[in-house]
Amino acid sequence: MTGNNTNKVKDPLLHIIKRGSIVWWKSALIRVVAILIALVVVALITLVITGQNPIEMYKAMIDGAIGNELRIWNLLQDTALLLVVGLALTLSFKMRFWNIGGQGQIIMGAIAATACMKFLPGKVPDFALYLIMIASALIAGAIWALVPGLFKAFLNTNETLFTLMMNYIALNFAAFLTFRWSKNSGNNVIGILNRKTHAGWFPDIGGEGFVGRSFLLNILIVFVMMLIVFVYLKYSKHGYEISVVGESEKTARYIGINVKKVIIRTVIISGAICGLAGLILVSGVHHTLTTDIEGGRGFTAIIVSWMAHFNPLYMALTSFLIVFLEKGAIQVASSPALNLDDNFANIVTGIIILFIIGCEFFINYKIVFRKRKGGAS
Amino acid sequence: MKKVLSVILMLAMVFSLCIALASCNSEDNKPQESQNPDQSAAPVESESKEEGQDEELKFGFIYLHDQNSTYDRNFMDGAKAACEKLGVTYLEKVPIPEGNECYEAAADLVNQGCSLIFADSFGHEEFLIQAAEEFPDVEFCHATGTQAHTEELPNFHNAFASIYEGRYLAGIAAGMKLNEMIENGDFTAEEAKIGYVGAYTYAEVISGYTSFFLGARSVCPTATMEVQFTGSWYDETAEKTAAETLIQRGCKLISQHADSMGAPTACEDAGVPDISYNGSTAEACPNTFIVSSRINWEPYFEYIIDCVKNGKDIDTDWTGTLETESVVLTEVNEKAAAEGTVEAIEEAKAKLQNGEINVFDVSTFTVTVTEDKNVNATVDDEGHLTGYQADVDTDEAFQGDTEVVKDGAFLESEYRSAPYFDIQIDGIELLNAMF
Amino acid sequence: MEHIPALELKNITKKFGSIVANNNVSLSAEKGEILAILGENGSGKTTLMNMISGIYFPDSGQIFINGKEVVISSPKDAFDNGVGMIHQHFKLVDVLTAAENIVLGLDGRFNLKSAVKEVASIAGKYGFDIDPLKKIYEMSVSEKQTVEIIKVLYRNADILILDEPTAVLTPQETDKLFDVLRRMKDEGKTIIIITHKLHEVLSLSDRVAVLRKGEYICTIKTSEANESVLTEAMVGKKISLNIERAEPKDPVDRLIVQDLLCLNREGTPVLQDVSFTARSGEILGIAGIAGSGQRELLEAIAGLQHISSGEITYIDPKTDKHENLRDKTPVQIRQLGVRLSFVPEDRLGMGLVGNMDIVDNMMLRSYGKGKSVFLKRKEPRDLANEIISSLEVVTPSASTPVRRLSGGNVQKVLVGREIASTPTVLMAAYPVRGLDINSSYMIYNLLNQQKSNGVAVIFVGEDLDVLVELCDRIMIIGSGRIAGIVDGRTSTKEQIGLLMTKNVKTHTEKGTEDVSQ
Repeated sequence: MTGNNTNKVKDPLLHIIKRGSIVWWKSALIRVVAILIALVVVALITLVITGQNPIEMYKAMIDGAIGNELRIWNLLQDTALLLVVGLALTLSFKMRFWNIGGQGQIIMGAIAATACMKFLPGKVPDFALYLIMIASALIAGAIWALVPGLFKAFLNTNETLFTLMMNYIALNFAAFLTFRWSKNSGNNVIGILNRKTHAGWFPDIGGEGFVGRSFLLNILIVFVMMLIVFVYLKYSKHGYEISVVGESEKTARYIGINVKKVIIRTVIISGAICGLAGLILVSGVHHTLTTDIEGGRGFTAIIVSWMAHFNPLYMALTSFLIVFLEKGAIQVASSPALNLDDNFANIVTGIIILFIIGCEFFINYKIVFRKRKGGAS
Repeated sequence: MKKVLSVILMLAMVFSLCIALASCNSEDNKPQESQNPDQSAAPVESESKEEGQDEELKFGFIYLHDQNSTYDRNFMDGAKAACEKLGVTYLEKVPIPEGNECYEAAADLVNQGCSLIFADSFGHEEFLIQAAEEFPDVEFCHATGTQAHTEELPNFHNAFASIYEGRYLAGIAAGMKLNEMIENGDFTAEEAKIGYVGAYTYAEVISGYTSFFLGARSVCPTATMEVQFTGSWYDETAEKTAAETLIQRGCKLISQHADSMGAPTACEDAGVPDISYNGSTAEACPNTFIVSSRINWEPYFEYIIDCVKNGKDIDTDWTGTLETESVVLTEVNEKAAAEGTVEAIEEAKAKLQNGEINVFDVSTFTVTVTEDKNVNATVDDEGHLTGYQADVDTDEAFQGDTEVVKDGAFLESEYRSAPYFDIQIDGIELLNAMF
Repeated sequence: MEHIPALELKNITKKFGSIVANNNVSLSAEKGEILAILGENGSGKTTLMNMISGIYFPDSGQIFINGKEVVISSPKDAFDNGVGMIHQHFKLVDVLTAAENIVLGLDGRFNLKSAVKEVASIAGKYGFDIDPLKKIYEMSVSEKQTVEIIKVLYRNADILILDEPTAVLTPQETDKLFDVLRRMKDEGKTIIIITHKLHEVLSLSDRVAVLRKGEYICTIKTSEANESVLTEAMVGKKISLNIERAEPKDPVDRLIVQDLLCLNREGTPVLQDVSFTARSGEILGIAGIAGSGQRELLEAIAGLQHISSGEITYIDPKTDKHENLRDKTPVQIRQLGVRLSFVPEDRLGMGLVGNMDIVDNMMLRSYGKGKSVFLKRKEPRDLANEIISSLEVVTPSASTPVRRLSGGNVQKVLVGREIASTPTVLMAAYPVRGLDINSSYMIYNLLNQQKSNGVAVIFVGEDLDVLVELCDRIMIIGSGRIAGIVDGRTSTKEQIGLLMTKNVKTHTEKGTEDVSQ
């Protein structure tokens, strides 16, 4: 700024510039750096606010997530459970149908599966029980998504609010049923269903000695589902139509896609996969119905899907990351050596996720600092 | 595709970092808290750890919520105190919802070498039973549960306390306060109405408010009560709203069986006296808090640790009492309580202990039997209970299976530790019974 | 002897990511001069001017105004330095009046009454025709532009920058605008006008600065320039600006539109009494002010617009069968065997999907063929590669998302796809809008090629010079009605301009049409 003292307007210090594209290793580097910075920030916050040793906290987190074989299986199963919901939502999101009703759709699937497990054993043969259970869970989830889907397709109502409202209905329906079906009068606890007979339970894979025996089937189902959704979105005509409708309804009409049909078909599939998640939760994991069985996955999966840019394979990684943090948080809250509670553990998780999402900005934009001007003429 | 690749790379780096740190962890080898998971990476059905061996005893606790919940906090305090006192390693899992997470937490604690595991929430029970079946060498204890006596597993046990006695004593403090206010001319004897915030229409709650009411009425004969349910064990807003509703309906004193600060705060705001539960709320409500009853779990924890250490069998159903110091009252807040409250409580306590009074003495209350109310009860002409088939052995139709009225009293916590008194007695009105 | 220009730029550089929008540009403008900035789309004209008006900030370089170096980091800084820009897209609040829009954003208290007076006096001084109390939504495009110009003058700007001001104007309105600009110049203002239309440059400016691909090429005195000199400077090589127009080969009726009536959502007609015939082997041009019903007409033919009454008949060239296209969906039309191609005005919003790559965009019309549930990407990939090589599409690869391509390349992809299906009717709406000269001429050639193949081509254009050079017949549309159909070989653009505005009176009286789309 030579010889320019009369000038009162200041040079801006930095500019934000949109990147055209970015080499893959650079974006990976940005993400790694973001995580490292997040870890440092969390460490500082931990130290300043709680006075606890952050290294101990990180150790507890890692221990909680992958500390032993059982925990690793647990981690993988929970990753799968989050991923399957993410897959379901991604189908809608690709179409720009903002389905935030995953919670309700999962709960409805879970309710259907629970009803089958509670009322059908003894009345129908085993294989029929499984068939009916699978079908009813998928249909229940699908219906819960179809209702807002129909309104969207025919009346163009706001699906975000609609699906959100459907959650509350499902949630209260589940509360009503846990009361109705509760084991002890009035305590709203249904208890493990068919604990002795295991009717309607997903079978174990492998023998007694195999730690992952009760987890493996759930994980495999979701893994297959992931591949199916990936192929469906990328290589099928339906998937192509979803993309076109999502990108531009005008284009879809221009080339003669029946937009209503695509919306309805896709939300049915999306809801059915949420119903599948409900089925796995009931038949594969909890063997009961509780009001919090869904575990916030309907909403967490939104982050999973967005962080993965709607790529099903990439979503396996984002859900892994989130579950890793959640599992770690439980251990942090449970470590007597660390005087930290559940809330603080969630703050830690939140900060780390915030950094990971926030670094997208630096992948899309570049910040250039104003260079000092050299000696002017 | 490159994006996917980049994230794989990133996660690989994070993962390797994790492993690096995890291995540091095991090298550190702190004897106390890093109770090493790596060692137990061996089969889950860990080689049986014989009780009473040199190996240090580890006690694992599973809590529904963290220490911000008064309910869980009450267990934590007792657990830590007992473990410290008896030199046992304390491990915990928190927050563990009432689902398969409980089983997983139990398995994880077994993995960490616990030979004694305790869970604090009703909904944990069946998942704990599942764990008990899988790990026969580990003792599992569960508070508030109902199934130990029917499950017949040697390593699964229920525990509760005769908290109805504590409630009864707290009720006396309430009755004294009502009397004082009547004498002061604040309202007439007929207007002495108590409000009660309950969670669910569940036996534990019904037994609680009934004993509380009977205690109050033993001092203030004209007292009546209204109960408002929230449908949740912990919902601060709902509990506050419920208390406010009751105060608006003319209740002169509030008590609650729900775990948040909702009702006590509402009382402090409205200047209505409050009998709390699970612990003193005097600090937050200095003007309205009178007294609180609570279960002190420390004696139970000491008892089971002792059993495990010395190879003794643990009771299938253990009921703590006034004698075992499991049922306790907090200090009376003289500022809010009526004069003579402390003495009255002491007197009643002594009578309860020597059997002079029985909380559920059938002569002290009447019951109306209709087609859909109190169907399991039989009453005499005056409405006094003569018999009751309680649903002690939990079944899905809620069938009564055990006669529990004997010698002119309802025998609460006799046939199992968890309460089964679920009769709606006259004088108590349920405002909403939907849960 | 020292000469101080009103505005001087020295070594201005601006990059967007890896794209260099301006590289070391230096130029100057004098007081009382009209300087034209000439360059093709994407040559960096607008970016350069945006840096003077405070929208962007240069990465390096200096700006001098009246010899003093200034830093302009916001539009306010620009106004403080006497620089005002009239953007291509107007920035006006629809529900406010002209005067209110003009004073909007000024600091401090203002008196609306005196503002109205001052606006009137500015208008009088330069010969604007404006009612300060008229609401913006009641105004035509040229009136809105006038408001923008007065807004800048009201802020005492001495340097006015106009970005493609004639793009939305009829020839008559353009002449009027030029008169005003000349008057301003006489008042001592500095006028900078961004354009790529050579005849405007030649008729209006004093000097021409030429940019090409972000680089400053030269400044030429207009009196010493002619079209070919300027084109060469702009494009970098000599090109022929003649469109060959062949005689139609045995034209037969292909598409007959009769008494078409289309209503918008509010129930007012957007097309009324529209009847015409498109013939094989000829190009039918459609001229008109933007938003006069061109889009609705093409969409009605393509099956995308509901028709209230009237008929659209297609005559099959092979069987001579008459097919009624009314109330048919695009899919049904295709199933009838009608090979109708449509290059819509909204390329990335309708004709193509911006986030999809070229291959997937090739499939848009054809993906549904066959019974398989899976997509077949082989044919579209071959087609993509063929179009890339035959139409010289500049792209890293066939799997690049089309939104990353420049406007011209996007259009080549779209037109290429539409032509690939060997249509019998080809409709193209503003196919050269925003394209550089080379690409534009390539599109004209493609249309001519289709014509010689016997396709009935319908071409909606905005540049009257091109319309009269390219089309066999020109249909003029105004306010949803046909104002006339003229022979492209004998009519002049002035005649067409008059027909374009013939209905405008009734149109502005209604005041409902949103002319600026």
